[in-house]
Amino acid sequence: MKMVVQQLADDVRLKEGMNACMNCGICTAVCPAAEYFEYDPRSIVVAVQSGNEEKIQQLLTSDTIWMCGQCMSCKTRCPRSNCPGIIINVLRKVSQATGAFVQSRLGRQQYLIMKTIGANLLRYGYCIHPSAVDIQNHPEQGPVWEWVYSNREEVYERLGANLDREGPGAMRKIATNDLLELAVIFEQSGGTVLWQSIETHSKNKAIELGLVDSQGNPCMDLYTNYLLNEDPEF
Amino acid sequence: MTKKKHIAIIGGGIAGLEAGSVLTRQGYKVTIIEKENKTGGLLNHWSSLFPDFSLPGEVLARIQPENPDLTLIHNTCIESIKKENGRFELFDKRHLKLYADALLLATGLSVFDASLKEEYGYGLFINVITSSDFERIHKAGQKLLTAQGDPPKRVAIIHCVGSRDAKVGNGYCSKVCCITGVKQAIAISRMLPECEVFNFYMDLRLYGSKYDALYLEAQKRHQIQFIRGRLSEVSENQDQSLQLKAEDTLQGRPLRMQADMILLLTGLEAARQNENLCKNNHLELDENRFFKSENMQYHRNCSRQEGIFMAGSCICPMSVNETLDSARSAAIEVDNYLTQKER
Repeated sequence: MKMVVQQLADDVRLKEGMNACMNCGICTAVCPAAEYFEYDPRSIVVAVQSGNEEKIQQLLTSDTIWMCGQCMSCKTRCPRSNCPGIIINVLRKVSQATGAFVQSRLGRQQYLIMKTIGANLLRYGYCIHPSAVDIQNHPEQGPVWEWVYSNREEVYERLGANLDREGPGAMRKIATNDLLELAVIFEQSGGTVLWQSIETHSKNKAIELGLVDSQGNPCMDLYTNYLLNEDPEF
Repeated sequence: MTKKKHIAIIGGGIAGLEAGSVLTRQGYKVTIIEKENKTGGLLNHWSSLFPDFSLPGEVLARIQPENPDLTLIHNTCIESIKKENGRFELFDKRHLKLYADALLLATGLSVFDASLKEEYGYGLFINVITSSDFERIHKAGQKLLTAQGDPPKRVAIIHCVGSRDAKVGNGYCSKVCCITGVKQAIAISRMLPECEVFNFYMDLRLYGSKYDALYLEAQKRHQIQFIRGRLSEVSENQDQSLQLKAEDTLQGRPLRMQADMILLLTGLEAARQNENLCKNNHLELDENRFFKSENMQYHRNCSRQEGIFMAGSCICPMSVNETLDSARSAAIEVDNYLTQKER
């Protein structure tokens, strides 16, 4: 198997994000995530810059690379024109592709994100769509949402949206041809391969955790439940 | 006896003055063209010099050359240089036309405009000042006070403003700001012994002889604190004090700090007129917009145009003593050129 250093370098975005770091810390200073988490973009850049397999492997299996909110504030500040946010993107991709993501709590949540935001995107053409936020799976939305969800046609109509219907307007139905195009882009740009990789590695993790049905097959409902209730380690 | 050769020097800062003084003593006729109404350049604006806190006036008093062969032209900015029949013709915006057998550039530096680094709040927040502002206050014999008129209890000095920063197009190190930061921290501490002073640096580049001793003094005698981390942004509190965001990179932790005043150590840039001077001849600028030397090791004072030489910080940022050394070595190069030409 390819060394992880090489796998990072194979992603053209690494060249864009990584010039050379002089450890000034301006990225960490401006980073909103660093205020809330034990998170230091500077040290991530330094680890990648070191080219050290072990350190990079550690990053791929860590929670840290999933803490970035991709606001790209770091890009606007770095005096060497690096972009830690882009470097994080590359690390995430390699983590998804190699299955390293299942070794951390935040990494494992890739499965949930894929099944919700990923699936929404391909099905509706929206990351989040009112019809997809059903009350059964989203108790956190509370009783007001329950009412909105149940009366969504009227509510969105009154708000001037065009929910799920042909023609222009907010929340309009995305044309089938456009959705097909989106699917082709997803396929061609490597999305499908990553999707499958996340699915496969998550299933293996479910087996490892003993979350299986009577035939010994991974039970992804149990796994989902497990992920939703996993204790934060920090 | 042959007629004395004539050398034109652009810039009446310490580089131009010192070179002019050496060259007249060697028997040349020299004309110094200064854009301001006063010679001395940036030294007129500084209150004290690192690392010994000596006065700029002492340096200026020693190098103001007086010689019948030396002419000073004030309030004149040379806009273009042309080589014609082995001599140089210099023009300003009006009608001045000057001939010279050799030309010495001593155009010096300009200070980075700190308001371009908007996130640091210079020009926006009233308690953010620059190192040049501080020198002016110090020189006037005033105490450092906040805009509200109180002595600050905490001052943060920010290194590398407009230096080593691709975002403002200055990738190079301005070299003399670190030691200026140490000097100004001590000056503040002497002025206001109760005031806490913090220096935010990325690398402390105290390259000169005796600079490290000043760093030691700052820490030991004045309890100046040095934090390794570059400032990301400044915001203003309601009472016009300031909040800083940086990372303490040695601890690996984001850091927020309140300060009453912030002092930005502004970097140094090549004079803007340099670009004009490169037209109609072979002068070239380097990647940092300073004049490019023929060879940076062996012929640092020689430009890419034969017969045109450089002295002082139009080559790169320099301290006062380096500038004087550079001016003297430039004078030797000019003399070599003119003597060889004669043979």
